[in-house]
Amino acid sequence: MMASKNIVCPVCGASCDDIQVELSGDKINVKNACKMGNAKFQEIVSSHRISQPLLREKGIVRPCPWEEAIERTAEILADASRPLIFMGSETSCEAMEVGLHLAEFLGAAVDSNSTVCHGPTAMGIQEAGRVGATAGQSKSRGDLAVYWGSNPLESMPRHMSRYAVYPRGYWTQRGRFDRTIITVDPRKSITAENSDLHIQLRPNTDYELLSALLVLLHGKRPHPSVEKVTGVSISQMEEMLELMKSCNFGSIYVGLGIASSYGKHRNAEAAFNLVKELNARTKFVIGALRGHCNVAGFNQIASYLYGFPFGLDFSRGYPRYNPGEYTAVDLLRERDVDCALIVSADLVSHFPAACAEYLAEIPVACIDIAPCPTTMISDVVLPGVIDAMECDGTFYRLDDVPIYFQPFTKSPFSNTKSNADTMKQIFEKVKALKR
Amino acid sequence: MAEILLRPKGSIGIMVEAEVISPNIFAGKNKAEIEGLLVWQGPVQLPLGEFFDVDVRSAAGLPERARPEETSILIEGDISRVKRIGQGMKAGWIEIHGCAGMHLGAEMAGGSILVQGNAGSWAGMGMLGGLLHIAGSAGDHIGSAYRGSWRGMTGGTIQIDGNARSQLGGGLVGGKIVVAGNVENFCGIRQSGGLILVKGSAVRGTGAEMNGGTIAVCGAIKQFTPGFVETGREENPKLGDVQLEGWYAKFTGDYALGKNPKGSLYCREG
Amino acid sequence: MQAMLNTGSTIEEGRLAKGGSKLTEEYTQECAVCEMNPVDFQAMGSPQRVLISAMDGRHSVSVYAYAADSVERGQIFMPRAIWANVVVDPETFSTGSPLYKGSPVRVEATFEDVLNAGDLVLKLYARGR
Repeated sequence: MMASKNIVCPVCGASCDDIQVELSGDKINVKNACKMGNAKFQEIVSSHRISQPLLREKGIVRPCPWEEAIERTAEILADASRPLIFMGSETSCEAMEVGLHLAEFLGAAVDSNSTVCHGPTAMGIQEAGRVGATAGQSKSRGDLAVYWGSNPLESMPRHMSRYAVYPRGYWTQRGRFDRTIITVDPRKSITAENSDLHIQLRPNTDYELLSALLVLLHGKRPHPSVEKVTGVSISQMEEMLELMKSCNFGSIYVGLGIASSYGKHRNAEAAFNLVKELNARTKFVIGALRGHCNVAGFNQIASYLYGFPFGLDFSRGYPRYNPGEYTAVDLLRERDVDCALIVSADLVSHFPAACAEYLAEIPVACIDIAPCPTTMISDVVLPGVIDAMECDGTFYRLDDVPIYFQPFTKSPFSNTKSNADTMKQIFEKVKALKR
Repeated sequence: MAEILLRPKGSIGIMVEAEVISPNIFAGKNKAEIEGLLVWQGPVQLPLGEFFDVDVRSAAGLPERARPEETSILIEGDISRVKRIGQGMKAGWIEIHGCAGMHLGAEMAGGSILVQGNAGSWAGMGMLGGLLHIAGSAGDHIGSAYRGSWRGMTGGTIQIDGNARSQLGGGLVGGKIVVAGNVENFCGIRQSGGLILVKGSAVRGTGAEMNGGTIAVCGAIKQFTPGFVETGREENPKLGDVQLEGWYAKFTGDYALGKNPKGSLYCREG
Repeated sequence: MQAMLNTGSTIEEGRLAKGGSKLTEEYTQECAVCEMNPVDFQAMGSPQRVLISAMDGRHSVSVYAYAADSVERGQIFMPRAIWANVVVDPETFSTGSPLYKGSPVRVEATFEDVLNAGDLVLKLYARGR
């Protein structure tokens, strides 16, 4: 039996770094992880783990040697006129870096989960700028938390207990009793039920609500139609704004309620503007609840390597960025790529049907750990190595803090140490084919 | 005078970027030279002749002598997968008998473009002058600023006979955009000058974060922007050279942007 | 009826997805689900299953129906998973992100079987593979 402490969880953006595991033979015992985290740690010993490369030829799937799978993947990329490389979020920055360089080499488009997650939030930051803080800051100082379009009790279960609501911070010694919680959600979510104030707005009216709060902050009364549009009374908006103005340190945690609904980056932009202006009254910060493990990592790596946070196009040899044009959903819906390499992401499940249909028509290679709809339609499936369990590397936490992680066991495959390693092997083979 | 006729050879797979299709670049070139101009398809550059049959006609004199303002380009067929046509053009005429792809006439400074069908997103982005006439409907960001900029179109006219989607005239500084049909979201966002006239209706975000210039909407606005305050009513208002008919409520905003915004929004009554 | 589709994570969806169980019956029971306001649910005859269709009629999917007080009238909630994404509007308003929250859809009672994720892929996305 082998016991390890301070393991980083590779599931959601919280990057919890206090996981304890005991691995013995075909059993793993996990402490401190949430339900989702525990489920992923069980993958180490699961029976459905993808244990060997698979190749599809004329509709028949067969196991194949490692080298053949790498070769075939490289051929798919090298033969295409416009590949899409999709770096999912449940893998390291080191793997993402290889994917970005590979895209540059091929003149391909490269995107990540961010594009269907907080991509619009990143666009909002570009429009408005962002006042942010580390999770530790909010824990030590925060006496008001606003969950706007987010439901952490279901999507990031330990966010409230580790960072935002329950922990006792230096200036918040009484934990939950020192904090006020507001939730903005069209649904009476479990998070909303556990809040002091639930603003139950109508779907697709976040922009109007944010805009009305800014108007109130500027001393004007919002146009009366806003009550009917948002389903929220102006007096309730005033109550909310009063709570926000009178706190010592407020944090807004935006979720996909803002990024995925009608309005998208404009919602995010308005939220960032509201927070900027609240800083004239008190200390206020804002950040996104990043649902996936290292989804923040791609934004960071792509930004510092190539200047843009997601949806990059290298067809002209230099990076270009234009969401709606070079982003994965749009490229697939418009049938503007002709092959895909998908790393640690299940696009067939999580993209709209028009995109999944097209993915099923073009050559696809993927790297994954378990069978899923994307592995079902892929021509090549390469077994994935589980980051933070089987190899070391770097994740960025939801607050853009890099977390170096070390494994408690090693890759079960003799041909690869990590997904970064697999990506490098593919890159080498692509270079050889293109030479 | 030179007239260049382009006919797509077949359906186009991966989209093509063809900013070379512009009177400024075609002017003074013969058929072979035009066919040899390079366009992008994915990471590869290919001659224009791969995708189009090119025919050069001359009305008077040698086509090779024609200047840009004497050059017209006629495109017969669907080119909705060809982007950046007429990008940055300064003079001359482009007429498209079909639908056009993204970035049509982006940053154009002069001359005219007429599309008989629909135009993709970003048409007329950052336009400086000239006329862009879309007889069908248009996508997002028509006549808007490029991504990351708050200053969009500064001059010229965009006329859309059908509908436009979202972010029309974003960051508009000058010039005029007239939409005969409806618009969707955030029409005139961050507008600081110029005029947008929507003869149909709008969904939401009309004039959001606006600080100057004028928007008029003749139909209904589904989700009115909260930061606009009514300042009066006007009968038959005249906005620049556009004469409107009927009674309009006049609003100032967007007070979500600051305490003293100077944007004007006219909404037709009844 | 026409409804506004809201999709989002649920803890059980997360547990099963992260645990590599997307092709299991348990995942289908947990995620091939449409939660409706009790009034809407009863008005539809308290159906066991509903067919959710995209407004353009191109795609539809059958899922188990439940009444839930947390959902307002005229809205439905589905866990984010392959079933919901069949009917999510692929339009991104030039942002790259489709309308996972706030897509208009049609909802009607149905006798159509609910497919598991594997069978759904074979039915919708099999093509020549």
